[in-house]
Amino acid sequence: MRAYLTVFRMRMHMELQYRGAMIGGILCQMFFGIVLTALYRALYAGHPQAIPIEHVVTYVWLQQACFRMLVSSDPDLLDKIRSGNISYDMCRPVNMYWFYYMRIMAQKLMGSIMRGVPMIVVAALLPKGWGIAWPHSFAGFCAACFSLVPGLLCMCALENITMGFTMRTLDPRGIQSMLNLLMVTFSGNLLPLTLFPDSWQKVITFLPYAQLLDAPIRLYTGEYAVSEALRIIPVQLGWCFALTFLGMWLWKSNKKRMIVQGG
Amino acid sequence: MSYIEVNGLKKTFTVRKKREKGKLLREKQTVEALKGVSFSVEKGDLVGYIGPNGAGKSTTVKILSGILTPDGGEAKVGGKVPWLDRKEYVKHIGVVFGQRSQLWWDVPIIDSFSLLKDIYRIPKTDYDNRLKELSDALQLEELMRTPLRLLSLGQRMRAELCGSLLHRPELLFLDEPTIGLDAVSKLALRDFLKWENREYGTTVMLTTHDMEDIAALCSRVMVLGHGKKLFDGKLPDLLEKFDTVRTVSVRYDSDVLRIDMPENVKCEHKGEEYILTYSPAEFPTSRLLKALQDAGNIREMTLQPENIDHLIASMYKEMDL
Repeated sequence: MRAYLTVFRMRMHMELQYRGAMIGGILCQMFFGIVLTALYRALYAGHPQAIPIEHVVTYVWLQQACFRMLVSSDPDLLDKIRSGNISYDMCRPVNMYWFYYMRIMAQKLMGSIMRGVPMIVVAALLPKGWGIAWPHSFAGFCAACFSLVPGLLCMCALENITMGFTMRTLDPRGIQSMLNLLMVTFSGNLLPLTLFPDSWQKVITFLPYAQLLDAPIRLYTGEYAVSEALRIIPVQLGWCFALTFLGMWLWKSNKKRMIVQGG
Repeated sequence: MSYIEVNGLKKTFTVRKKREKGKLLREKQTVEALKGVSFSVEKGDLVGYIGPNGAGKSTTVKILSGILTPDGGEAKVGGKVPWLDRKEYVKHIGVVFGQRSQLWWDVPIIDSFSLLKDIYRIPKTDYDNRLKELSDALQLEELMRTPLRLLSLGQRMRAELCGSLLHRPELLFLDEPTIGLDAVSKLALRDFLKWENREYGTTVMLTTHDMEDIAALCSRVMVLGHGKKLFDGKLPDLLEKFDTVRTVSVRYDSDVLRIDMPENVKCEHKGEEYILTYSPAEFPTSRLLKALQDAGNIREMTLQPENIDHLIASMYKEMDL
């Protein structure tokens, strides 16, 4: 157990070194946040929707603040798989899946805290209707924070599935761009899931991608009542188990067909 | 039963060839990396494992370190099958892949070491003692706080070795540990390995292309070629088989017109120098010397030292590798 915690801590610590990337990420996500906010405001000016604009803008900012959690792969891990340095990790007395899982989690968590916290502070200072609104209720805020945990676990499991595929294809780009497309579309990063037609929402809110950030954000804005958390969190946990199980199976079957090329 | 027992180990890789014109599917080709290799190694042995590129050396090491699953044959190390119970097995082995790195690129090496401490569950005092011992032997003390990326190749290799030995493995696999090192680093590394082997009885299996490594370290050498074991024994015995010719160069005071030599002695004339290649078994050295003396007044004569790399090259050639 110690080893997993140490690798988690070390990876967090390492992430702190990349401050240039942090500033770049913040600027980029701020830009997207402002552009999307302006876009939705223009849309609302012409054709108001059922969902209040404050909710949509808050949704956009929270999504942008957590962008790092959604689509970022640890370049070191991908490089290990490509170059074959993974063979060192394979001769350690640890469970490979969880060892990588912890690294992924550390990177996603630290990366998004470093970018997300300053962004949320800035977005909270923007004028009403442009920036983040306060949570709907304190209980809603707590429920949102709580459901962020299974959301994060789902994300790490998804990322570890990408790693598992990368071991087969050796190049992450194909699988990454495909999964990232699904990710930005169905997680609500591209277009808030709340704005999808109701008939669509019945399906997409049950997909794994909606469990990551969409569910917590809706609890935050009050779109989901706090009592609905009891319905949402089991769905999230269900996906957590399913994705983790799938990833572990993938890793295990990779072990049998493992080839370490060169030298 | 020996410590390492390998019996008829086989491994095949499938390679897809480039699609040929006019064909719908790519053809598959299987490459037999190991075609049934068997050997055994006793505890505390220092064994060299050599062979040309692509002979299957690294594949053997990867199988024995639990990374790859073989397609056939069996292997047991200390009674355990490496690829079956990987997590349990790897606690007791250490591996150094000369071309790869196990330490974290962007963090000080001491942090990578403390991660290894937790991975192998090394008790604190034991870890401190061992780290002190290894950092003294490998001169790492001043580098501990330096991130790996700032180290030179030689420093890095020393750090890698330290990382692989922290948990006091019974068995150490070294896959080309001296690749790219300068002379001083190589000598230091060899001394260290000898010391570790002597002090703790660590069994070492070493693959290398540097024959000096083998000559300096290994009591036993195995030659692998085309996935088969071709030789297993002491290095002098191996060399004796192929070390059959001697080269002598001679300079005379004045021009010598001709040296009388039988046909089985090759005689070249380069400037002032005569270079003679002969086999002592066919033509005794004393007779050669006499013939040389008869030809004129010898000013200078050198017996060229045997070059171990040449020997190995001719051995590979003879074994058709």
